[in-house]
Amino acid sequence: MAVNVADLDLRGVSEGLGKRELSSVEATEAYLRRIATHDPVLRAYITVTGDAALAQAKDADAEIARGKRRGPLHGVPIALKDLIAVAGVKMTSGSQVLADHVPARDAFITRKLKDAGAVLLGKLAMHEWAFGRPVTDGPFPTGRNPWDVRRAPAGSSSGSAVAAAAGLCAGALGSDTGGSIRGPAAMTGLVGHKPTYGLVSRSGVLALSWSLDHVGPMTRGVWDSAVLLQAIAGIDPDDTSTRTATTQDYVQHLEDGARGLRLGLLKRYYVDFPGLNDDVRSAALTAFDVLRKEGSTIEDVDAPSLDLALAVWAPLMSEAYEYHADTMRKTPEKFREGLRTRLLFSALFTAQDVQRAQRLRARIGREVDALLSRVDALIFPGQAGPALTFEDFPTTGFAPASIRYTAPWNLLGLPAVVVPCGFSREGLPVSIQIVGRRFDDATVLRASAAFERARPWAQHRPVLE
Amino acid sequence: MKTTDDRRAQFEAECRSASLTLGARDDELLYDMWLDWLPERDRLRAAVPAPEDEPWR
Repeated sequence: MAVNVADLDLRGVSEGLGKRELSSVEATEAYLRRIATHDPVLRAYITVTGDAALAQAKDADAEIARGKRRGPLHGVPIALKDLIAVAGVKMTSGSQVLADHVPARDAFITRKLKDAGAVLLGKLAMHEWAFGRPVTDGPFPTGRNPWDVRRAPAGSSSGSAVAAAAGLCAGALGSDTGGSIRGPAAMTGLVGHKPTYGLVSRSGVLALSWSLDHVGPMTRGVWDSAVLLQAIAGIDPDDTSTRTATTQDYVQHLEDGARGLRLGLLKRYYVDFPGLNDDVRSAALTAFDVLRKEGSTIEDVDAPSLDLALAVWAPLMSEAYEYHADTMRKTPEKFREGLRTRLLFSALFTAQDVQRAQRLRARIGREVDALLSRVDALIFPGQAGPALTFEDFPTTGFAPASIRYTAPWNLLGLPAVVVPCGFSREGLPVSIQIVGRRFDDATVLRASAAFERARPWAQHRPVLE
Repeated sequence: MKTTDDRRAQFEAECRSASLTLGARDDELLYDMWLDWLPERDRLRAAVPAPEDEPWR
């Protein structure tokens, strides 16, 4: 093997397998060696399933040798956030409540990945129940940012981001209720895709907030995310939110470029926006110029009710309180302080607050749908600022500066992809976010690929000690 | 203009209404979070939905 898998994105691994320059066993062994070397510091994994992964890789190699490559994921080693069920493998959700929980069945999307021939390296660290804070201590540390290990990768899909960015897997799946795929992807220089709500099944995936939860890819490149989405998207009879799922070919249009795309700019989100870091603002505005030069047209647009998105999003997190209230009452000691505070806070919304939020959610949706009838996609900063140190992370609250950019698209269920667009002056990755129409994830990926091709920031890799 | 005592009393009333019984540390952290959030909650409560704003589904 002359290939160094740590340098490759998922596409590189997949193409290496396709050209027989690399075997699945070689790739899997290389990732397992990197995990053994670097994960004692990075703490991306909760469970490494090395023996099972090598067995899957051996089967993949044998099948490929017989000329039966199932598709681009066949033989590719990936990993899953530890709230996605894999039969017979511990699933903790980063919580002491589930410390010994072993699901008997695969999640629907795990089955789809196995059908596609992917090799599963293990289960990835996360914020406690996808709602806690970043931590470095206790039984479930949430992972360190490979760009600067003193910093958190944000969350809640922290381990997914760390593993994909540090080359401890070829790609990962995370989940996103207010920004939990896009935040960590932005903080680690990855592409992170929150698909349209209802496009990817949540059955066998532990819930945080049913009407806001999404599962999606976190990878080094746009093609990688498109291929993972292709494998996991589609109708699942066990998840009624997918009953109207309309899938597309997510790879076919990635090379079409930005020419002809109409992009919407909401200036308010760049100018005087609370908490927006200057480096992020400047990199995001530069990204607009890049896409304009690539042939897209830019239109100023606005949706006034978007200002209410955070106020509307938070009461809906009472879904999380409902999910956990009984367990927290019986075993409060199994919930860490940061999570407990957020859950208790979610209990303080009244029935009227929640119903008002649902009505205003509909209003915001109407306004944004009207915008998206005039333009193909909207572009925002991916996050308000680059990665914070663990000490700087707020003890309570929702990190409102960043969540204002991400939570609106959970509320509305619209597809949203973050793509790296540069580095801050401290050398930390920053990103833009591209948001599109419901079930038109292909256009969002196309715009993301056009930007990535013009400015391949994601080819930069963190240097690990 | 509400005083700190008014705010604290309001918080305690809301906790009682939600049947929350808090230890000292939870009380301290939750009160901080609740205070931080009040401006957003006020915006939610001040935003009057239109008749066509039926709940999201």
